[in-house]
Amino acid sequence: MAGILDGIRVFDLTIAAVGPWASKLLGELGADVIKVEAPEGELSHVIPPPIKGTAVLYISANFNKRHIVLDLKNEGDRAIALKLIEKSDIFVQNMRPGAVERLGLGYDVVSQVNPRIIFVAASAYGRVGPMAKEAGIDPLLQAFSGWCSITGPASGDGEMFRHLAHLDITTSTMIVEAVLQALLARERTGKGQKLEIEMLAGALSLQTSRLAEYFATNEQPKPMGSAVTTTVPHQAFRCEDHQYIAVGVVSEDQWPRFCRALKLDDLCSNPRFATNPQRVKNRAELIPLIETRFHAKPAAWWAIRLTKEQVPNSRIMDFAVLRYHPQVVQNQQIVELQTPHWGTLNVDGMPWKFEKTLAGPIRPGGLKGEHTDEVLRELGLL
Amino acid sequence: MSGALSGFTIVDLTQGLCGPFASMRLGDAGAEILKIEPLDGDFSRAMGPPFIGDESAVFLSLNRNKQSIALDIHKPEGQEIVRRLVTKADVLLEDLGPGEAEKLGLGYETLRTLNPKLVSCAISAFGEDGPLRNLPGAELVMQAMADYTNSLGRIGESPVRLGTDVASLNTGVFASQAVTAGLFHRVRKGEGQRVSVSMLGTLLHMRGIMWTAMTDPDDWYGFHLDHYIKPPDHGYKTKDGHVYFGLRRGNSEDWDRLLISLGMVESLSDPRFAGFGRDATSIGRYAAEVKPIWEQGFKEMTNEEVVRLIHEFNGDAVPFMDYPALFSHPQVQALNVVQEIDHPTAGKFKTIGPVWRFSDTLAKIQSPPPTLGQHTDEILNRLGLSTVEVQRLKTEKVIGGS
Repeated sequence: MAGILDGIRVFDLTIAAVGPWASKLLGELGADVIKVEAPEGELSHVIPPPIKGTAVLYISANFNKRHIVLDLKNEGDRAIALKLIEKSDIFVQNMRPGAVERLGLGYDVVSQVNPRIIFVAASAYGRVGPMAKEAGIDPLLQAFSGWCSITGPASGDGEMFRHLAHLDITTSTMIVEAVLQALLARERTGKGQKLEIEMLAGALSLQTSRLAEYFATNEQPKPMGSAVTTTVPHQAFRCEDHQYIAVGVVSEDQWPRFCRALKLDDLCSNPRFATNPQRVKNRAELIPLIETRFHAKPAAWWAIRLTKEQVPNSRIMDFAVLRYHPQVVQNQQIVELQTPHWGTLNVDGMPWKFEKTLAGPIRPGGLKGEHTDEVLRELGLL
Repeated sequence: MSGALSGFTIVDLTQGLCGPFASMRLGDAGAEILKIEPLDGDFSRAMGPPFIGDESAVFLSLNRNKQSIALDIHKPEGQEIVRRLVTKADVLLEDLGPGEAEKLGLGYETLRTLNPKLVSCAISAFGEDGPLRNLPGAELVMQAMADYTNSLGRIGESPVRLGTDVASLNTGVFASQAVTAGLFHRVRKGEGQRVSVSMLGTLLHMRGIMWTAMTDPDDWYGFHLDHYIKPPDHGYKTKDGHVYFGLRRGNSEDWDRLLISLGMVESLSDPRFAGFGRDATSIGRYAAEVKPIWEQGFKEMTNEEVVRLIHEFNGDAVPFMDYPALFSHPQVQALNVVQEIDHPTAGKFKTIGPVWRFSDTLAKIQSPPPTLGQHTDEILNRLGLSTVEVQRLKTEKVIGGS
């Protein structure tokens, strides 16, 4: 069964996380992704930790690709690159604005060689504006995009998400979104095009629902620990055994069920808490009542009660518990991957399940330049 | 110039944050979105305060580009209307929960007999299989289950969530991808299909580097591993705020000048500061350890002064921004990503517009968010129902008007 992007080839000139993860997803959708690196290798090789000598980021961000080395400053290799571009459908790069042009592979050159190509220009802050020349990595974007200002304990300063990849990969997913749109449009128009995106816009877009509060009130939303401004109760509660349980009552039908789960009938019939807007307004009065109730029994009890009543809830999970949780296993959200170079790895499952057209399977990538001969021979470029 | 999805129609049964974010984005790309809401509305209409007029700010931010029909999908006549709409549409987007659409006569197997080319995208909270498949989701709950709260706050203290609604909105992007991919396949190969995404699946996918790093790393070091044990990170404190920065390029003369000007003379011979600060800043090996030394150097400097200094020495630096600072910053203004929408009852409000710029395809805000049932009559008239029929359905509470 062919994949959705069967017959589509990607010229992948990306580095680190943003670009590579985008082309990884295209590879998982069935595209033939050719990762092109300079002889000295791209940035992710030096980011720790390694597994059997290869940087984990390099392994993880480069599934479903073949790896070639081309020295784009060398005439012969550059000519090969242009021939490869002629046979490609998508050109992805995430260098600083101006860099790919200096390599002689800007959109004007590439689209002349191949007018059907979809050319991705992904930058950190944008191609215009005072910060256009700046490089951005995930933590810089976390700080600048305001995303830290709404995260943290209720009393404290905004804090960073210590996993430094979420904004990177968010941008990757928006690149894939746009590439798929451009492929669809190309079926109609026969033409390729250039598409531009920046991490900063991606980070702002991801904050749309929280920025809504700011734009409505002109007030900075404050960090609230595990709680949130617009829905109540929607936070973690400490139980008798000092374990926490995360709960969210987000639609109105869940409120009476929540009260039943906690055996808080008078709460349910109290008009001050009857609707979400009222619970939000009266949260200072409501939350302590709920907290007291959760203190009365251990977390396991509340998980049973809430789940029976179909109220969203979860314990606070970590990898050890999560890895072989039946929900994760049966939905293949974390899976095992056999690799020739790094043994068997736990890896991310694919984010979509297509019932008819196969996405995947997930395949390991390789080492730098591992497939140079194979690819160039296959494409008649050797 | 038309949008990439111009000419495609999406029947949208989703509510809340996730599905609506997806369909909004598909609408920016030109798709027609028929939003089917319960008679008392998408539950995100009640997500507030804050409200703008009668509409919740959250609802307004996620529902532009859509026509609203208020309809009870639990009534057989309501279900029949949905089937008729889907027959003439290209896509169905739903988040009813695994098995629920089938109970309402709206399952994929039924719908594809009416519309063989249909692309159907289902969104669930925890995934379509497994013991939790029927449990509804909520943003914090997904973050807690997916290990996200462990990268925030302190071990042993009350959990902290990401303020951003990542479970909902990141999944919306995957749903948007899935729909577009399904349409691409249909245009090329002539067949529709069903695709599903889940919030738990999204969050676990996006943390994949960690699962791999934890399998068998050569050494337990690096930000994919040590963020469980690290304390909360507020960046580098300055006189008037915080900054984040990294240094790794330079020459010896400049480097000496930098450290001396910051009063960090001892650091000149400190091996942790070798390599022009590569290991002593940003994600470097000794960055957390030597942070107090940098902060001592920055004590009398403002954010702006620190950023300017680091730039002078070819480093990367930004201040920690809050929303008021961010939206008056010239870079955000240059991006032109904040757009204003004029809503018929709520008036003008700002939001984040489409993030992609295409050279040959148009992505833009098409229309303001609808009031509840604003387009009920219009949509049903287009379907061929008479005014009398529409009135009867309203009286019997199968549909609601505006």
